[in-house]
Amino acid sequence: MMRLVLARFFASLSPALVLGFISCLSFNVQAATDENAWNVLQKAAVAARALSYQGVFVCQTERKTKSVQITHLFDGKNEFARNVLLDGSPREVLSQGGDLVIYNPKNEKIVIEKRRGQNMFPAVLPVNLEAVKESYLLRLGVLERVAGRESQVLILEPKDGLRYSYRFWIDTEYGLLLKSVMFNSRDEIMESIAFNQLALLNSVELDWFKPKIDHNKNYVMEDEPVVIASNGTPVDWVIKDLPAGYRKIDQITRMVNGKLHPVTHIIFSDGLASVSLFIEPAPKGNKAKVLLTTMGNASVYANINKGHLVTVVGEVPEATIVQIANAVVFKK
Amino acid sequence: MTEQISALMDDELAIEDAAHIFTSMQSNQPAAEAWRQYHLIGDVMRGGATLSPHFKQNLMQKLELEPTVLAPNAIQAKVSKINQLKSKLPATWSIAASFAAVMVVGVMAMQVQTQPDNEFAPVAVAEIEPVEQSIPAEYLMAHQASAPSASSYYIQSASYSESAR
Repeated sequence: MMRLVLARFFASLSPALVLGFISCLSFNVQAATDENAWNVLQKAAVAARALSYQGVFVCQTERKTKSVQITHLFDGKNEFARNVLLDGSPREVLSQGGDLVIYNPKNEKIVIEKRRGQNMFPAVLPVNLEAVKESYLLRLGVLERVAGRESQVLILEPKDGLRYSYRFWIDTEYGLLLKSVMFNSRDEIMESIAFNQLALLNSVELDWFKPKIDHNKNYVMEDEPVVIASNGTPVDWVIKDLPAGYRKIDQITRMVNGKLHPVTHIIFSDGLASVSLFIEPAPKGNKAKVLLTTMGNASVYANINKGHLVTVVGEVPEATIVQIANAVVFKK
Repeated sequence: MTEQISALMDDELAIEDAAHIFTSMQSNQPAAEAWRQYHLIGDVMRGGATLSPHFKQNLMQKLELEPTVLAPNAIQAKVSKINQLKSKLPATWSIAASFAAVMVVGVMAMQVQTQPDNEFAPVAVAEIEPVEQSIPAEYLMAHQASAPSASSYYIQSASYSESAR
């Protein structure tokens, strides 16, 4: 059954990846080698997308805890998921493939937000782990029980101080990620997400794939950020030496509330962690100053460099965001 | 009433049997609102991917550029031309168009409704620490919207106000 589902999932992927994964499957589960650990992780990345399941997981950061009910279906071609927050305001996240719609109650309204989806638990791992392998070491840990199921612990440690470490609990039967914890360099928990209840779905019915409608509230689309075509803006900076393992993923130019000038937003990733870099003209009269702080899980760094305000935000160590800010070199 | 509107939209109720719903929607504000909202939700679920990111701006720009036509004959000709064009457009176009219209209405409604909040805004800003003032929450929100960590779908940044009702 499991093999069949996985085979169907791979039909929708590139041939190279399929070959890679089939070669992983053919390895025997044996000695606790590094290669074996990566295979288990690879299987978890695929299982989160290719299996159909329903459960409740708890998401925890330093400040808050939220329970989320998830229903995920892969019908052989497409992925559907509905995530409902069980605590606090009844926010819902519905996704179909990479397209994501968030129903976000705000006061008397429900604001509909559209996003491009990625790394939604339990699909937090990329299917292609090459970038992760470059920057992290992986080893097998002990067997532990999570959500009433037996799981294999995997320990993912950074090769340098430029990223956090992770611990993953993988269901030994389903191959699914049951729990994921992110630690900072002082071994403090930054983020923890874990199933406390999980079952596979047998039906391919989609009758659950709709939001619960509140008749007493107004549904409105979110105020879209004004995005500006990048080609017209003169670029007077280049990005030089990025911290090891980080690559540019995306770049957009947008208006930010309360700012007169468009802000350039560049996103970097090492395969797991993401960092945002914002560049904009510095407000007049601002003297050179440097700011390093944290907001929730994110490190934040801002400085003024040759008439530009450079701000970097990311769920990574401070050293990484400072390095990314310093990688911006102005031509003037 | 809302159940009946929902049934009508799902084709579970014949149009012939729905005359009373249309009548009541003309006079009954909540019913008309429900009709509008169900369509918005339906359109979003079906995916408005046909809309370009600048759709609203482009549409408004094009409307600006349209000359005001005073001669009725010319309007007639234009309408028939538009009808010809319409038949050539894919079916998704009409969904996209209604989606855009609802979106514009939605945005307008939001702007109207958010105005009273402005009275309180200066007070709130004055209380924030100087550090927070230099790093607007917009940066964190933009980061989380474009490059979310797994928990940011569920746990909002500190600046986000989550009221109970």
